[in-house]
Amino acid sequence: MRTILSIFAAGAIPLSALATGQTPAATDPKLVAMLEAKDANGKAVVSPEERTYFMGLNDHLRELLNRAVQQEVITSPQHLHSLLALQLRPQKMDLLLQNNCVLCHSDPEVQSGEDLFSSAPASHDSPAYMNLKDVVEDVHFRSGLSCAGCHGGDPTAQLGHNFVKEWPEKERAHNRAWVVQFCARCHSDPTFMHQFNPSLPTDQLAKFKDSPHGITLLVKRDDRAPQCISCHGVHGIRPAKDPQSKVYAQRVPETCGTCHANPKVMSGFTRPDGSPLPTNQLAEYRLSVHGQALLARGDLGAPACNDCHGNHAASPPGVAIVSRSCSTCHSANVSLFDGSKHKQAFDAHSWPECSKCHGEHAIKKTNDSMLATGPGGLCGDCHRQSAKNNPECVMTADYFRKTIHEMSETRDKVTKISDNLAAKGLDVEAINNQLTELNDALKKSRTYVHSFSRNTFQQTAAPGEEAIQKSKTLVTKARSEYKFRQIGLAASIASIGLLMLAIYLKLRQLEK
Amino acid sequence: MQSIDNPTVESSSQKKEPERGAGETASGALRAWLDRRYQLTPLFDFLSHKQVPLGVHWMGWYYLGGITMFFFMVQVVTGVLLLMYYQPGEATAYESIHFLTTKVPFGWLIRSIHSWSAHLMIISLLLHMFSTMMLKAYRPPREVTWVSGYLLFLLTMGFGFSGYLLPWNKLAYFATTVGTNIVRSVPVLGNWLLEVLRGGQDVSINTLYRFFAAHVVILPLAFVAFIGLHLLLIQRQGMAPPLGEKVAPRGMRFFPSFALRDLLLWLACLMVLAALAVFLPYGPGIPGMDWELGDKADPLAPAYPGIKPEWYFLWEYQLLKEFPPHLFGLEGPQLCLFVIGILFVIWALIPWIDRRAYRDKPSPAFSDLGWAAILFLTYLTLMGWDVGAHHDAEQLTSMQEVARVCAWWTLAAGAVVILVRSWRFGHRWFILTGAALLQVILHGLIGVSYLLAGLISFVLAAIAILVLLYFRRSGADAAIST
Repeated sequence: MRTILSIFAAGAIPLSALATGQTPAATDPKLVAMLEAKDANGKAVVSPEERTYFMGLNDHLRELLNRAVQQEVITSPQHLHSLLALQLRPQKMDLLLQNNCVLCHSDPEVQSGEDLFSSAPASHDSPAYMNLKDVVEDVHFRSGLSCAGCHGGDPTAQLGHNFVKEWPEKERAHNRAWVVQFCARCHSDPTFMHQFNPSLPTDQLAKFKDSPHGITLLVKRDDRAPQCISCHGVHGIRPAKDPQSKVYAQRVPETCGTCHANPKVMSGFTRPDGSPLPTNQLAEYRLSVHGQALLARGDLGAPACNDCHGNHAASPPGVAIVSRSCSTCHSANVSLFDGSKHKQAFDAHSWPECSKCHGEHAIKKTNDSMLATGPGGLCGDCHRQSAKNNPECVMTADYFRKTIHEMSETRDKVTKISDNLAAKGLDVEAINNQLTELNDALKKSRTYVHSFSRNTFQQTAAPGEEAIQKSKTLVTKARSEYKFRQIGLAASIASIGLLMLAIYLKLRQLEK
Repeated sequence: MQSIDNPTVESSSQKKEPERGAGETASGALRAWLDRRYQLTPLFDFLSHKQVPLGVHWMGWYYLGGITMFFFMVQVVTGVLLLMYYQPGEATAYESIHFLTTKVPFGWLIRSIHSWSAHLMIISLLLHMFSTMMLKAYRPPREVTWVSGYLLFLLTMGFGFSGYLLPWNKLAYFATTVGTNIVRSVPVLGNWLLEVLRGGQDVSINTLYRFFAAHVVILPLAFVAFIGLHLLLIQRQGMAPPLGEKVAPRGMRFFPSFALRDLLLWLACLMVLAALAVFLPYGPGIPGMDWELGDKADPLAPAYPGIKPEWYFLWEYQLLKEFPPHLFGLEGPQLCLFVIGILFVIWALIPWIDRRAYRDKPSPAFSDLGWAAILFLTYLTLMGWDVGAHHDAEQLTSMQEVARVCAWWTLAAGAVVILVRSWRFGHRWFILTGAALLQVILHGLIGVSYLLAGLISFVLAAIAILVLLYFRRSGADAAIST
């Protein structure tokens, strides 16, 4: 409907009338001609929607368009069509029309290949980073920095490529180390950055330099290592909070995986122990509890690669600091572990704390069977191997498992019974209150397993065990109430039935 | 007190009070005592001679009015009990019902019986109305009885609509928002009517106060007045004898035979009510027939999908959905309200439209109209219920798929209706039933839009009726000329 209206609106207003001064901002005749131009097939180059968009532009923007046409920065109907097709908001259109760099480099009559910005780069043999739609969304462009902000030159001048001295004239594509220094000209300058985003850190270069990525790129001069544009993009850089940004939480795994899931790129890189660096992290992460939460459920609180490894200082968390990464979110578990007997044992074996039991990238949702002491159980297997199957430990683990299992089973069972009783119209509020208590105790107990202490665990589980007893009593009471209702109904039906029988007999007697 | 106000009357009556005779029973004495004061003998005579006509049709249809009245009485009794705990108000309405159903002894039973009885009352009322329609009991001299019954039907709908909001829960809130929004489409007065109904632009606590006043005062007063008129007319004129017979060939004494049978049925209904209230305290779980309290109304919360009105409003709800936003320069809902209005007026005026029944002759066309109306309502209600839709909320079902399933069900029902009418009752007039089924086929099975299907069916039915009338007229002329 909107399209039909716009076609109607565009058709109803003769564009030639614009040139006659009937509107506040007179339109240049050349511009009018471009708006009305037709291609070889007789089809309008500028579509009705684009013409409607043009009609809605304010005087200032029309004046800028007039000027661009007069100065021959916009030279053809096709060029005008590519600009109007963007349908930009006035502020952005203003920035675009005052930027002769983009205007000139988006003209297919003048530019080609890697110098041409186009809405469909592939169709002009331009590289993907020369996408006109992306450049107008770039955070730098939106802040008014434009092309000259990085490349140098004067965006208001008609010609001239007065590049900044840091811009490498040659070997730009092969030796990428220059990119880091180039971006850092501004991003490491707190005074400059304060003008645009006072909360943005300016220590990215310092962090990067000491990171494995930075060392590989800057010291080992290995171009496979990433630099700024590898993760942030080139002309379409967006803030990290923008869902379309390459470093938006949900896109981070994919961005890191561009290299880390590519065996070709990663070949030759090794772990500290000399083993080859694996490339299955992304696949494992996607199936993990964290990956499912972030990618499938859209839970932005779930960690992506950078939450454990860091951003610009990205590095593998060493054995000693694994639990520090995990404690960012799972602080209670880590704190309990630190106070447990296991802490010393793990340190003695140099085991990476959390990941020893839970894994690294393929962390699965925990389940109570992990506490099993028999063959195949996590506790049992490890203890048989490394702790000589200490009977006290086995008893403790069995107690943990039995208590948690009982709480979990009772919760599920009573929840079903409660729903069933509620459907029968019984008051289950008290039962549900006990279920809440039980659920809380169960959650806490599962956490307190990490204390590996029977006494500490017992204190946490006690309210849950109490809730089990109370909920069972309440269920019995509710069932009795339902039985009472059924008996009451039977008695009522019997009484009414007797009354009916009496009436029936009286009726027969009367009708005889 | 009486002696102070009217000592003369008191003293004269005392003087005339005769001694009770040796053989006189206590009830006889009481009757004589009352008769001397209120002259009840003519009334007793009238009632003792009153007869219920026994004709060719099933006797059961005569009990439906009484059953409806029984459910109304249950509503009054349980309603008064509910009133003892219910407190209208933003912070009290939901809470008081929650308290009543969970903490008050037998509170759950009272609410459950009130809700079940409301639905059963509407079912028995619909059966009563359609049986009256099929038996042509509306024919003279009982036109006003029909109209008063029709007004009672409208008032019952009002009871249902106003009572639905009173628990102030989420479902009721949104259903009332959708329901009241319909009056916005009334030409010129729409916005004003909406404000009157809601007590403001939106459904708020003011709406609850209004609905409460309507549910417990205005509607009951009007209902009692019309039920009084309805009963008075029935007592005065008696029940309608079978068509074509001014006086029934035989009859059953109203007192005690019919009245005791009535009582037996009422007790049976009470049994059913009690059993339903205990085993299904929140209704059968069908959308539009479910009164689980759920969450409290929250005007700021977003509406959730699947909100449906009570089952007896579903056909109107579905019809509204079948109208496009704009049609013939009018808004779709406006036009839909106009169509519904016309249908309601036609239904009210049937005693005057049905000229053959007016002359006490069989009118098969109007029997057919009744069945066509039932099939029309069935198809819309089934669609409103989303019969045939996937139960999995994530798997959306297309409207056409739902319409197809509903069409098959309606066609099956239509086939049964036609066969039974044809074989059992020898009916031969099926034009309107056929038109209703044709619309179902065109819309549900072929995919023609509902309104276009309706228009095609209506035009074809009109042509068929005109052709029939033309041939009848020609036949009659030929018979006269020969």
